[in-house]
Amino acid sequence: MDLEMLNKDLILLDLDCGSSDEVIRTLAGRFVEAGVVRESFVEAVAHRETVFPTALPAEIPIAIPHTASEHVITPAVGIAVLRHPVEFCQMGSPEVKLRPELIFMLAIKDPKAQIGLLRQMMKLIQNGELLRGIKEARDAGEVYDRFLAAIKGE
Amino acid sequence: MAKKPKIPVKILSICGSGVVTSSMVANKIVELLGDEGYDVSTVEANPSELEGYCMREKFDLIAYSSPIGDPCGVPALNAIGLITGMGEEEFVEQAIEIFKNAGK
Repeated sequence: MDLEMLNKDLILLDLDCGSSDEVIRTLAGRFVEAGVVRESFVEAVAHRETVFPTALPAEIPIAIPHTASEHVITPAVGIAVLRHPVEFCQMGSPEVKLRPELIFMLAIKDPKAQIGLLRQMMKLIQNGELLRGIKEARDAGEVYDRFLAAIKGE
Repeated sequence: MAKKPKIPVKILSICGSGVVTSSMVANKIVELLGDEGYDVSTVEANPSELEGYCMREKFDLIAYSSPIGDPCGVPALNAIGLITGMGEEEFVEQAIEIFKNAGK
């Protein structure tokens, strides 16, 4: 993965939110401020989560909110570590509720061009050690470094 | 000795947007089933496009990461395990069984 896609401004630690919707809008708002997505991204990604939820039962439950590429200016990945897990529905099985502690938001412009990023994301999702490391990181720099180390370590 | 030719199979990968998650799943399927001797081609789509695709083309398997309606007679497997990595082997075993039952 091109590490430029993970921007330290898109890493939020100890995020204190009461609902999945608030989590998504807060993190998506950072994407808008960073100039990597259009303002419409916030509503689109929040709405899409209600229709097609994205929580996954990884070693640590996570969610990967994303939406249509028309709202994306530059491909990006953002991470939120939640102070308290909040309820999300499981991808593919909306009746199953998960309580993710980590959120990986994806802004994908062209899935064919960003297949490397998507492939890399799947490896990261499957890397329990990395997920635990991100959860325990003290600052955004540490999250970034752990991500980098996991990618280089392959 | 000549290598055994790979068996061609065609898979429809379905996710909510028809783009992001289905591409992740499709990529993983090509890799995993490639190792099992299959030459996999994939089409990514969203649930509302499923019927149209199945009317136009013949698929051996549907892999879905968002709920689907009528799979139009095509065998369908939940592909969430491919994304989390927990359940990859089961997916591969079930897919191979489906292909074998179809004579592939």
